[in-house]
Amino acid sequence: MDQAFREYWQTTLDELARYLTRPEVDVLPLRSTPFATLYGVRLTSVGAYRLFGYLSIPTGTGPFPAIYYVPKYQSVLEIIPQGTANLQRSRYITFSLAARGQRNSDVPYAAMFPGLLTDRIDSAASYVFREIVADSVRGLQFLLTRAELDPARLVVMGNDLALITAALTRGATHVVTAPALFYDSAELAPKTHAYPLEEINDYVRAFPARAQAVRDTLACFDLRAFASRVTATTLLMVGAPGGLLDRAALTPLITALRGPVTIYESEQSSYKDGLYAEQWMATQCGIKDVQAILPEHWRE
Amino acid sequence: MPKAVAADYQSRVRKPRDFDAFWDDVLRQAAAIPLEPEVVPDPLRTSEDVEVFQVFYTSLDHVRVAAWYCRPTRRPERTPAILFTPGYQMDPPIPKELARKGYVVLSVAPRGKLRSNKQFNPGYPNLLTHNIVDRHTYAYRGFYVDTWRGIDFLLTRPEVDPTRLGVTGSSQGGGLTITTAAMRSEIRAAAAGAPYLCGFVDATELTHTYPYEEINDYLRLYPERRTEVEKTLAYFDGISFADRISCPIIVNIGLQDNVCPPETGYALFERIGARDKRLYPYDGHAHDAGRVKHSAVVDEFFAHHLLGRAASA
Repeated sequence: MDQAFREYWQTTLDELARYLTRPEVDVLPLRSTPFATLYGVRLTSVGAYRLFGYLSIPTGTGPFPAIYYVPKYQSVLEIIPQGTANLQRSRYITFSLAARGQRNSDVPYAAMFPGLLTDRIDSAASYVFREIVADSVRGLQFLLTRAELDPARLVVMGNDLALITAALTRGATHVVTAPALFYDSAELAPKTHAYPLEEINDYVRAFPARAQAVRDTLACFDLRAFASRVTATTLLMVGAPGGLLDRAALTPLITALRGPVTIYESEQSSYKDGLYAEQWMATQCGIKDVQAILPEHWRE
Repeated sequence: MPKAVAADYQSRVRKPRDFDAFWDDVLRQAAAIPLEPEVVPDPLRTSEDVEVFQVFYTSLDHVRVAAWYCRPTRRPERTPAILFTPGYQMDPPIPKELARKGYVVLSVAPRGKLRSNKQFNPGYPNLLTHNIVDRHTYAYRGFYVDTWRGIDFLLTRPEVDPTRLGVTGSSQGGGLTITTAAMRSEIRAAAAGAPYLCGFVDATELTHTYPYEEINDYLRLYPERRTEVEKTLAYFDGISFADRISCPIIVNIGLQDNVCPPETGYALFERIGARDKRLYPYDGHAHDAGRVKHSAVVDEFFAHHLLGRAASA
């Protein structure tokens, strides 16, 4: 599997490299503020697919630390995650990308939610997430071209795609990740009724003859296989004890990560979990006045 | 620790004098449009214990609205039903979990949401400010009606007990729960979490996070339109609807909510007209509003009011 895994992803990266990024970067006055300018970005990914992202650059003299928000598992593309203080954009460059299928990147392919997780899952070669991973890598490659960026302070943040992106390409100095899609999914999905993993249950129930093919595809995306390639300093946000993706369940991933790892167990509070992540990123990026860039109701 | 929240916060929301007339007129326009419901089985999502269907119906401006419809495979001839209302950014979920608890459930995708966006698609961000200077074309005029028409759909179903209807949702779903409970007298129980769309103008001053920040963005670019914006929003504010609610209702809020300021939750609760109302404020929680702990409260609330089970002490 190791050899097949390496070849699968090398082939994907080679294919991506054949497409130049060809960015178009346009100011969006409606979302620009005195402390940050927002740009709409269009760029090309694998298969000559045009993607869209939001790039925010702080006012002032850089270089600035950056947060790359990898594509989420939802149709909507956010400028910064809902509930994040807009003032975060005064300290960090932020870049959020819609992978193919998400809004603003949904021509010609419009994804369904639920539905995306199992789209063409019966073949690793054609599975939609192979291209979505390539999209996410392309986003990081684009961000690294920005002159305003301090390349020593680049956080990649999000779900499984954050870890996978950091594993497949250079540039991420830090990773904040909360696995949800691709950790031991074939084994864990039958233990839950909750979407998105329930999509896998739905699919296997409808197409039982394809169960092995689904397992084979998911093996190409399992975070454990990527872990040894991740050298960035990582904050791994795990589920609360007793949950499907709690610390105990994720121990093989934790031990396999090559770079320094901090484990944070969810307190099932978006305030406590969110505050920890904001403070961790600020500390790692040398931002001393984190209070100033927290949501009003989190400030002391 | 963060500063304490003022529970006696005074909202700036003032219900317009012609509020009822405005909405009566909108409902009159909607009533003239046939519902034309379509129910399509979804074998991929159907499991042994829950049948899943894709539903479509017509709403205001002849916009075709999608929804997920789930019903327990084993159910009484007449089953209580719950309308599930979505968050601002979320893709409407397939509500199998609620169906497993013994309810027929409709999870509605109001206009602009995935599967309901062919005729209307202002996008995200943008929905919140789409035509915000004109209450007759503001995005939420149709969006609200789309949600309320979900009740009309449920009432067409022979398996639904029309005397046992509930509504629930969180965030935007919480706001839609408020407006639905206010405008549909058939609702017997409502559970609203972290209600959005309540105290719009208050929220733009209390917090600077998206989605409310969309309004601040808009007013920064068009400051001369503030009066029109505030006039429009008063017709759509959950606080303006609240005195019309008469069914039993519970509301949960997070005291460190970074999306919907808790002050607006207090102001909303104070205006709710129902005698049987209860507020659950969760300290140490943001926009999750204590969801993990509170889900048991919601389960018991609906079991009592819709399934007829005795409430625990």
